[in-house]
Amino acid sequence: MMAPFYKFGLFGDNIGLVVAFLVGIGFGFFLERAGFGSSRKLAAQFYFTDLTVFKVMFTAIVTAMLGVYYLSVFGFMDLSLVYLTPTFLAPQVVGGLILGAGFVVGGYCPGTACVGIATGRIDALVLFIGIFVGIFGFSEFFPLVSGFYNATPMGQLTLPQVTRLPYGLLVFAVVLMALGGFAGAEWVEKRMAARQAEA
Amino acid sequence: MADLMRKLSLNGRLALTAFVLGFLALFAGTPYHGADATINTKELSLTMAADADQVGVTTLADWIIQGKSNFRVVDVRHATAYAEYHIPPAENIPVAGLGQSSLLHNEKIVLYADDGVRAAQAWMLLKAKGFKGVYILRGGLDAWKDSVLFPRIPGNPTPAQAVEFARAREVSRFFGGTPQALAGDSTAARQVAMPKLTMPASPTAGAPKKKKKEGC
Repeated sequence: MMAPFYKFGLFGDNIGLVVAFLVGIGFGFFLERAGFGSSRKLAAQFYFTDLTVFKVMFTAIVTAMLGVYYLSVFGFMDLSLVYLTPTFLAPQVVGGLILGAGFVVGGYCPGTACVGIATGRIDALVLFIGIFVGIFGFSEFFPLVSGFYNATPMGQLTLPQVTRLPYGLLVFAVVLMALGGFAGAEWVEKRMAARQAEA
Repeated sequence: MADLMRKLSLNGRLALTAFVLGFLALFAGTPYHGADATINTKELSLTMAADADQVGVTTLADWIIQGKSNFRVVDVRHATAYAEYHIPPAENIPVAGLGQSSLLHNEKIVLYADDGVRAAQAWMLLKAKGFKGVYILRGGLDAWKDSVLFPRIPGNPTPAQAVEFARAREVSRFFGGTPQALAGDSTAARQVAMPKLTMPASPTAGAPKKKKKEGC
């Protein structure tokens, strides 16, 4: 997120932390504005009664993708400087399922738990403590799982690399997928609301 | 168009904007700017002036001993020279292969050759290609041999020096070198035959490393 400015030496590591702090505050603010401080709203996602999480996240993805794409096309930023998390397929699938299960049970993901705490929600605080218990347990047992943790490394992948399709085509495809997803989400929400009204 | 925009809801307008931008992306081409490189002379000169383009050999030795894994050491000499001796964790990417290497733009990369010149050329190439954390090993392999593998250790150190020398001795042994004990002070002519260089058993069999992730 700070790559283009960081690269040109506009600020160093220390100022980078300040920038990260400000970006984090902004992130938290918009999560709260989207209603993600409430575990009920977040958990409703998994019962298909309120797909706000899906819509907000996909909006963020599309906005960021278009912004980054056009800034790079016009030469304002260097896309190759943006850090990509390397893919470790098997551990990331398992980790995603664990996080998802925790998300359904606890009603928060780590970021939204911080937002919930900021507005004084006890459930968010409990979940946040749980996160640290989990981190501690994971660290203590790390030697046991480190083999799996580093399994199936695939490097830093992007969709154009994997699919070998032109970059612009994939941008368009993701936009279409998002728009289709939004329409589908609204439809599902309406149906669920109708079903609840019947019951 | 403006009329249509007015009729739509906010969501509709955003969706239409995203659709139009996505459609235009079909024709806008790739965002990566290929093989051409640019040199930001100001940035480079400032980096050089601040001495932020180099890493000393003892610093590198410390990193390796501490088992740090946030950097890559790259030997830019020919494969034959590399096979003869190289700094333990180094990988061999001769200058001609730098363009197609697997190095990543955000990695911390320490370059070395026999002396500073070839490494400095490689440094310039990588910098021009937008690599951010590239460093030259100060003095190259020559300095590595002089200060890390075969440090000259005078026979009559002061107490303050003694600690430093003991440390140098340990570091030297770690990398399979031999400290050179000198009678008298270090100005004595140094004609010690360079011992045959052999590769020590790799002390840093690093597992693939993961960087910290950014999460939701």
